[in-house]
Amino acid sequence: MSETAVPRAGSPRRVALMITCLADMFYPEVGERIVRLLRRLGVEVTLPAGQTCCGLPLFNSGYHDEAAAVARRTVQIFRDAEAVVVPSGSCAWMVKHEYPGLLRGTVEASDAERVAGRTWEFAQFLVRGLGRTAFESDVDGPLAYHDSCHLLRGLHEGESPRVLLRDLKGTSVVPLPGSDECCGFGGSFSVRLPEVSTSILERKLANLEASGARCLVACDAGCLMQIRGGLLRRGSALRALHLAEVLK
Amino acid sequence: MAKTRGLFPASTAERPAEPRQRLELLRRELSERWPQTLARFRAEFERVAGVFHRVPTAADVPAALERICRERDARRLVAWPAEDLRVAIAPALGAAGITVESMPRSVPPEAERRRLRALIAEADLGVTGADLAIAETGTLVLVAAAGRPRSTSLLPPCHVAVFDRTALVESLEQLGLVLEAWHDGPAPPERGAAINFITGPSRTADIELTLTRGVHGPKEIHAIFVDGGLGLHG
Amino acid sequence: MTEPIVGTPLRQRAAQALGDRFLHEALDIATTKFITLRREAFDDFPEGERLRDRARAIKEATLQRLDEHLEKLVANVERLGGHVHFATTAEEAREVVLDIARRTGARMAVKSKSMATEEIHLNDALEAIGVTPVETDLGEYIIQLAHERPSHIIAPAIHKTKGQVAELFSRELKRPGLPADPEVLTKIAREELREKFLSADLGITGANFAVAETGTVVLVTNEGNGRMATSLPRVHVAVMGVEKVIPSMTDLAVFLAILAKSATGQKLSVYTTLVQGPRRPSELEGPEEFHLVLLDNGRIAQIAGTLRESLYCLRCGACLNVCPVYRQIGGHAYGYTYPGPIGILLTAMLNGPGSVKELAHASSLCGACVDACPVRIDIPRMLIELRRQVDEEHIAPWTERVVFKTFARVLVHPALYRLGARIGRVLQRPFIREGRIRALPSFFGQWTKTRDLPPVAARTFQERWRDIS
Repeated sequence: MSETAVPRAGSPRRVALMITCLADMFYPEVGERIVRLLRRLGVEVTLPAGQTCCGLPLFNSGYHDEAAAVARRTVQIFRDAEAVVVPSGSCAWMVKHEYPGLLRGTVEASDAERVAGRTWEFAQFLVRGLGRTAFESDVDGPLAYHDSCHLLRGLHEGESPRVLLRDLKGTSVVPLPGSDECCGFGGSFSVRLPEVSTSILERKLANLEASGARCLVACDAGCLMQIRGGLLRRGSALRALHLAEVLK
Repeated sequence: MAKTRGLFPASTAERPAEPRQRLELLRRELSERWPQTLARFRAEFERVAGVFHRVPTAADVPAALERICRERDARRLVAWPAEDLRVAIAPALGAAGITVESMPRSVPPEAERRRLRALIAEADLGVTGADLAIAETGTLVLVAAAGRPRSTSLLPPCHVAVFDRTALVESLEQLGLVLEAWHDGPAPPERGAAINFITGPSRTADIELTLTRGVHGPKEIHAIFVDGGLGLHG
Repeated sequence: MTEPIVGTPLRQRAAQALGDRFLHEALDIATTKFITLRREAFDDFPEGERLRDRARAIKEATLQRLDEHLEKLVANVERLGGHVHFATTAEEAREVVLDIARRTGARMAVKSKSMATEEIHLNDALEAIGVTPVETDLGEYIIQLAHERPSHIIAPAIHKTKGQVAELFSRELKRPGLPADPEVLTKIAREELREKFLSADLGITGANFAVAETGTVVLVTNEGNGRMATSLPRVHVAVMGVEKVIPSMTDLAVFLAILAKSATGQKLSVYTTLVQGPRRPSELEGPEEFHLVLLDNGRIAQIAGTLRESLYCLRCGACLNVCPVYRQIGGHAYGYTYPGPIGILLTAMLNGPGSVKELAHASSLCGACVDACPVRIDIPRMLIELRRQVDEEHIAPWTERVVFKTFARVLVHPALYRLGARIGRVLQRPFIREGRIRALPSFFGQWTKTRDLPPVAARTFQERWRDIS
């Protein structure tokens, strides 16, 4: 069975939150909302101490030994978790898809497999883990969903976030043209080739305008940093929010 | 990071054990459902801008050809020999003032070949048969051979292919079987060194993605399907 | 637009391309169209996914026994009266073709589109010995007249307006005042090139496949120039990468079913030409001589290398059309023969990892290419491997390596990480306006030039946890 497969559900009642470096540093409110939401659904949330980063930026730039060291540490931190929930598609992908390979043949190999098998991206967890899809929202719509590349193509998850938005009460949803097109973040790509990254972003923002939405929704802090960064710079009235900021 | 063998699935396509026999069987099956196959062929052929004509018998082919010629003021035709077309067109067309140069089946000396080449290059229309008509894609397959020079279907601005139900196959998968069968054992001496699949008229979209037809090959392609079958008698 | 020189940094070449408004629009229209056509073709084709898996498996199986298949191919081509030449390097390949040209006394060669001949820079070599190569694929013909290189694998002149083409033809073909009408321009190309086809001594083509079992070389084209170049001139030379060999005719049918659909959305290209040696004695026409040049040029080394999977490539161009980077900058900015996602890998294959120290990062690793590739080549994985090679072989600038290694150290020491947050909070103070950061000095300015940045939170999530839990 593929490592990126969704964990077998069993409605876990206790999850460890992998906050991710970007959410920790820049979007702690997203973390807070996730904790509140999960608690309301009867799930206990723990936060293993001393988290830093999943190591994806190191991995993507080719620093694999260094990425493995970070992976090792992360696996140790989460080794006892029944379930790990990650508010970011790219970090969830890193843990599920790359950790086992990075730690193959090491002492942590089986822990890595186990943690990978128990890791969920947040939207996935709500829909496939808990079977909960009906939520309310008081965000000014219409909303439009942007697929983050690692969630869509890496974890094959285009459905769960859409189901959540579809069943959302209190606001409306419209399709986003080119929703599966990259936003141009790509980690270090955004600063190595900033003009290209910005040009790609402009295409995304043009699609957002064309959709008639008032708010873009995404499940990845990297995408949000890029898209929100562009919207704010333009002084746009449109917003970009994490899925957790939209669900009540 | 060396790639480990065996990590990715690896298997070549399964080849048919007795391709010629399998093809025979396939032909028998296909002969029972040829009208559906033809309908699909027509739809796909027209989809790629082919012009489809249907006539009841071989005797009706010259008249259909004549109509096509008149519509585009085509006076000089080059054609496969009658035995390869399995219908005689030269007499009837000649009577209508349309010259048909049938290609010789045996190879003439160099000077004559050059003349024929020039003739084909000047011709208004080329008439050929078709060894296969693939319904899935609207494709005609022409095997080069003695008397069937490749350029008859390439140089003139209009190409007309005459065929009957025996040429019909349904899919690219079946095409694979046909190709295996054709290459199972030595090739007959008349067979040439090229097989051409033709799917619509020559085209390009290289300038601003605007579609234009008749770039180097023919601008038009016609199919004349003969319901009653082709075959020279007597 | 003048062609960028490879010597300039990628970032500059990219910026130049981004500033070309017509290119931008042309790329947008063309790539969007190709994407739509491909999607429609596969939506209408339920067996498509299964066939893609099969095609990939055939490629993998073939690579595992490449030498056997090549041997069989050679034996069969020779049995049919053709000649096979094996070229380890680009130079050897050029020499083979030049030799044939010299020996047959050719003065002019008509060429049907071939990326392999671009790769080995054949045209310049032919001109140097007094043989005029004439590109006959309309897009290639256009760029040849313009002295440019192709900007897309299958639509080489995508970057030119019809106005530019009209002007080019008027000037180069001495036909002043041509209208910017593709129909008219195509007709002119047809006339000009028809005369070349009929008088050329030598036809040079590439090949999309070569079937080992039957010694058949396969060309997939739309215009008819492939058919012309393989039947009219006295001598036909096909230059083909060794990885294009496939075992049987049954395998061929699998590839034909997915190739044109992936490239242009067509069920089949207009012409699929199966060449089986020189003309038979029974034939009225056809080349007297057929030569197949099998090109290695770095491919065989990759069978055991990191870029093995890129040997599956069918050169359909689907990955270019969906790549967010290619769609913005076009083909020339990549700076090498092969552009786009697969182009980066092929460049590394041909020129070594050093050649892609910048290009390996010309990707956001979004994975759209894998989705579009008919044989599902995992390009992002190999790009990451190339980045790793660039780091490990110290091709990346030392400053960058220092930054990443420092970053790595911070990430395994939570105390350093927490300290980093506190330092960030202090350093950012002068730059925060209305809760956002709009400008940062030096390296970080790369982001803030065009995008706002959120500030490091007053309290990170982990710092707040005490209050939340």
